[in-house]
Amino acid sequence: MRSLKHFVEQSWLLITAAFCCGLLLALTNAALKPRIQRNEIGELYDKMKTLMPQAKQFKVVIPQAEIAANKTDVYEATDDKQQAVGFAFVGTGSGFADKIKLVIAVDKDCGKLLGFEVLFSNETPGFGSRITEDWFRGQFVGAPAGKLELAKGGDAEKIDEQIVALTGATVSSEAVVRIFNSHIGELKKQLQEKGLIK
Amino acid sequence: MAGDVKEVNLGRTFTAGIWDQNPVFRLLLGMCPTLAVTAAVKPALTMGLCVTFVLLCSNIVVSLMRNLLKPHLRILMFTLTIATFVTIADMFVRAYAPDMSKALGPYVPLIIVNCIIIGRAEACASKNNLFVSIMDGLGMSVGFTFALCILASVRELLGAGTVFEYPVLMAAGEGGWFVPWAAMSMPAGAFITLGLLLGLINVITKRKK
Repeated sequence: MRSLKHFVEQSWLLITAAFCCGLLLALTNAALKPRIQRNEIGELYDKMKTLMPQAKQFKVVIPQAEIAANKTDVYEATDDKQQAVGFAFVGTGSGFADKIKLVIAVDKDCGKLLGFEVLFSNETPGFGSRITEDWFRGQFVGAPAGKLELAKGGDAEKIDEQIVALTGATVSSEAVVRIFNSHIGELKKQLQEKGLIK
Repeated sequence: MAGDVKEVNLGRTFTAGIWDQNPVFRLLLGMCPTLAVTAAVKPALTMGLCVTFVLLCSNIVVSLMRNLLKPHLRILMFTLTIATFVTIADMFVRAYAPDMSKALGPYVPLIIVNCIIIGRAEACASKNNLFVSIMDGLGMSVGFTFALCILASVRELLGAGTVFEYPVLMAAGEGGWFVPWAAMSMPAGAFITLGLLLGLINVITKRKK
C-alpha cells in the first residue's frame, strides 16, 4: 500500500487545512448571516417606507411571484387603520453597465404608480447614476400604472405616461422605463388572479 | 522551502512596503482594486482595511506552515488560505458596513486574486519566520491603503468636490465656483490620476538618489 501512504504524506496538510477553513467559514457564516439578512430586508423596508410614508405594516401577499422572468415577493402595505395603501415589489432589468434593481410601489388599486427607489445599480457615475435624482424619479409618482413612454424632451413636471429621459443617459432612462413596462402589467394580472384588486 | 533568513531588520521590512516597495506605486501590483474602488476615500479605505486583514492573516498562516509545505502544493495552500480570509472579510463588510459592501461590489471577493497577497505569501511568508512575515504584511498593507487613499482623495476632490464625504469645494449650484468633473469618478480618471502619481513618485525617487 505504498500508494496510499504516499497519498496521505503528500496531502494530509491540504486535507486538514481544507477542513479547518471550511469549519471557520461555517462558523463565521452562522454568526453573521442573521445580521446580513436583516440588513438586506431592512434596506428594502426603508425604501418601501419612503415610497409609501403612511404605510405602517408590510405583508407578503404573493411570495416569490414570477414577474417578467424575475422572482420577487409582492408586499402589501397597510396603514395604522389596517387600510391598504399600496403594493410594492422588486423589479429587475438590464441597465447600461449592469442589472438595475428597483423597488416599485403602486397604489391599492394598481391604478397609479407611487414611484420607485433604486435598490441596486451600477450605472455610469454622473450620467446613468442620475436615475436616483428626485426630479427624474418624481415623474413616476402619480403616473398611470400602464404603459410608459420615454421622451427626449418636454415637461418633466407634468405627470403623465411620458417620462423625460436623462440627458446623456438614454440607455439608463430606457432601462428604468422598460422595467416598469415589463413588470406592471404582469403584477396587475397576478394581483387580479389573487383577488387583491378588482 | 528554505529555512529562516538569518538577519532581517524588522523595521526596514515594515518601511519597505510603505515606500521602497510600495505595492501600488513601486511594484504595480493589485491594479484592479487600485483603479476600481478609488472614486471616493471611504470605499478605498474599506478596501485597504480588508486587504490588511487578509494579508496579515494569510502571512501568519503561511509562515506558520512554511516548513510543512510541499513545493507542488504550495500555491493550492496559499489560495485556500487567502480565499478563506477573503470570504470572512466579505461577510464582515456585508454584516457591519452594508453601504460599503454595495459600493465595493465584487471587489471584496476579488481580493482572492489580488497579486499582492499571493505575492507576499510566495516571496516572504513562505521563507521567513512569523515576526518578519507579520511586519512584511503590515508594511505592505499600510503601503497599499496609503496609496489607495491618496489616489481616492485626488479623485473624490476633483470628481465630487469632497474628501471623505466632507465638502471641500463648493459646487457652482451652491454659491461656489466648482463644477464636478465627472470623468474623475470614472475609470478614465483612475488611469489619469494613477499615471500622474506614478510620474510624481518616480521624480521624487530619482531626486532622492
